[in-house]
Amino acid sequence: MASLRDIRKRIRSVKNTRQITKAMKMVSAAKLRKAQDGILAARPYATMLDQIIADLSARAGADSLSHPLLAARPVKRVELVLLTSDRGLAGGFNSNVIRRANRFLYENTHLESIRLSTVGRKGNDFFRNRGQQIRKDFGGLYQRLNYRAAADVAEELVASYLNGEVDAVHVVYNEFVSAISQTVKVAQLLPLQTLGSADQAPSEGSTTLVDFKYEPDRQAVLDRLVPQAVNIKLYRALLESVASEHGARMSAMENATSNATDMIGSLTLTYNRTRQAVITKELMEIVSGAEALK
Amino acid sequence: MAKLTVEIVTPEKRILSVQADEAIVPGGRGLFGVRPGHTPFLSLMEPGALTLIEGGRRESYFVAGGFVEVGNDKVLVLADAAEPVTGIDVEGARRRMAEAQERMKGLSAEDARFELEQATVRREAARIGAASTARA
Repeated sequence: MASLRDIRKRIRSVKNTRQITKAMKMVSAAKLRKAQDGILAARPYATMLDQIIADLSARAGADSLSHPLLAARPVKRVELVLLTSDRGLAGGFNSNVIRRANRFLYENTHLESIRLSTVGRKGNDFFRNRGQQIRKDFGGLYQRLNYRAAADVAEELVASYLNGEVDAVHVVYNEFVSAISQTVKVAQLLPLQTLGSADQAPSEGSTTLVDFKYEPDRQAVLDRLVPQAVNIKLYRALLESVASEHGARMSAMENATSNATDMIGSLTLTYNRTRQAVITKELMEIVSGAEALK
Repeated sequence: MAKLTVEIVTPEKRILSVQADEAIVPGGRGLFGVRPGHTPFLSLMEPGALTLIEGGRRESYFVAGGFVEVGNDKVLVLADAAEPVTGIDVEGARRRMAEAQERMKGLSAEDARFELEQATVRREAARIGAASTARA
């Protein structure tokens, strides 16, 4: 049986661990709130951009929307972008993304090639350790996550799509559902699919609409609008991923804290029992010693 | 009289959502004014000052390029960045402009970064210009 001192030591160490997980949970909760604010703040712009695109296709006719980033071509080479975190201890957050990415690789072996690029250290480490070629690691993005940084990444992906290096770009990331729930999602970033889709009704009923007046002209507007939509899509995926990371870490640390509390409880019980047993044993020894002297 | 609903949003934030009598927007082909009943209009926006007139009061914002959609007495301004002209950090803008000009010296005109730096110079110049309207 473990000695009293050993048990005391265990209890102390578990208490220390609980202190840490509790602190981490609190930090994650604060960061999660910030990340959620970020998602909310980005929403009006994204909604309006969709709105404009919907209006545009309603007024000008969907066929008139032609842009290289909308034109699908036979898919031979694909780029897969993994959004993982830089830090671990976030439950299944990173492993879910990695597992989904592996499945994607496995399911699409008929393709000529699949290139990987990563945002976040965890995904990069995983595939590098397995000898997978990683085209590019967009490291350090989380330290300065703003629209501009996301747009830089998106623009690079757009460039490799336009010069024919890849025929499609997909993003694997955690979609933020709630603080305790995240779902892994594979979204096609390029060619862009959402344009002119029916999920957004034009802002003015279905009366016959006159076409917009454009400045300088329709194509020039479209040439700016479409890349912007791609940037926003990636930016939102990044925001979702960051919020998911903190949500996942928060619930992982919540669980760890309550596990530690349970453990402390059962250790304390063992400790008290052992202490009682020792006292009883000592008493018995004294009593029987006294009996022997009579 | 009908009013315009003006919304200015950036990818990171909603800047404002107000009613106004008139909006003057730095469009793809120069400034244009919008009043209620304007024809549906979709324009690129250049960096510059966007002015709202409400009951004789003028309020200006610096916008750093983007799009404007006008339709149904609504003006949706999707700016890459925006701020009230009264809050502009002119010193910072001057510094960024000088830095970009400095970097441009080492680049040839074909370099992709040249265009980027040129855009920075134009944007910061427009920002400084917008700030001067605040004092006028």
